[in-house]
Amino acid sequence: MRLTSRSGRHQAKIELQMTSMIDCVFLLLIFFMVTSSFHKTERELDPAVKVQQAAAQAASDLAPPMVDIVRGTGGFVYRLGGREFTSTEPLEAVLKQFENKLVPAAVRAEDGAPFLMAASAIQACKSAGFSLVSYVPLDREPAR
Amino acid sequence: MRLAKRSHGSRLEMNMTPMIDVTFLLLIFFMTVNQVSNINREQIPLPPLAGTQDQSEGGVTINIDRAGEIIVSAQRVSLGELAGLLGQQLAAPNQSAATLTVVIRAHRDGDCRTVNEVVRLLNKLQITRVRMAVEVPS
Repeated sequence: MRLTSRSGRHQAKIELQMTSMIDCVFLLLIFFMVTSSFHKTERELDPAVKVQQAAAQAASDLAPPMVDIVRGTGGFVYRLGGREFTSTEPLEAVLKQFENKLVPAAVRAEDGAPFLMAASAIQACKSAGFSLVSYVPLDREPAR
Repeated sequence: MRLAKRSHGSRLEMNMTPMIDVTFLLLIFFMTVNQVSNINREQIPLPPLAGTQDQSEGGVTINIDRAGEIIVSAQRVSLGELAGLLGQQLAAPNQSAATLTVVIRAHRDGDCRTVNEVVRLLNKLQITRVRMAVEVPS
């Protein structure tokens, strides 16, 4: 795109006009320095959300893997079946042993449970290969 | 700062070409790399997890801070007010409970109390497309 006409200036010395460019660059540089902030890359977990119902809970005890976040002796722990885990690595290892990954896994967390643990449990289920993971809020800690 | 030497006899002419070049270059740079600035997203630390999918655009973003306060579009709202906001969204044309996406951005050090309340509300409104935001650890 040529905005300036060079006709009649063939004999004139070509001179690069730097002032406006430098003004613009400095302006944008200052704008960046003032307004920029660094964000970590954000992604999402996509659990199905469900509300626990007493009848549904009793009926579904057999089939799907159910990760509960319960209060243990030294704080909250992950509970899968009869086993308790303090971190997600062993939990994920156990979840990987489930043969049928088509059944939906569920993560149940009571109100006082740390959200980080709930999110980590959903991530562990997803990483173990379960395509469908449900998040079920609990009113109180599930019975042992 | 004057870098260019102005000859007294010649006609004053502003050379726009380099400025336009740089401006266009920066404009393209912005358009390519800049994340869409979103006022709906509060600056709260999210659970450091890999996640399962990239950010979804559109829908409603519900921020929950460490104290369990619900923040929507930079406004602190109660659960009742949130229900009203979601109701308005659902009442919009071409929108339904099946198509509305809700992103929950909860503080990593918070508890599940408010998250659970929000999830119960979403269930009540039959909203099923719920996402939980995480941030990829560096």
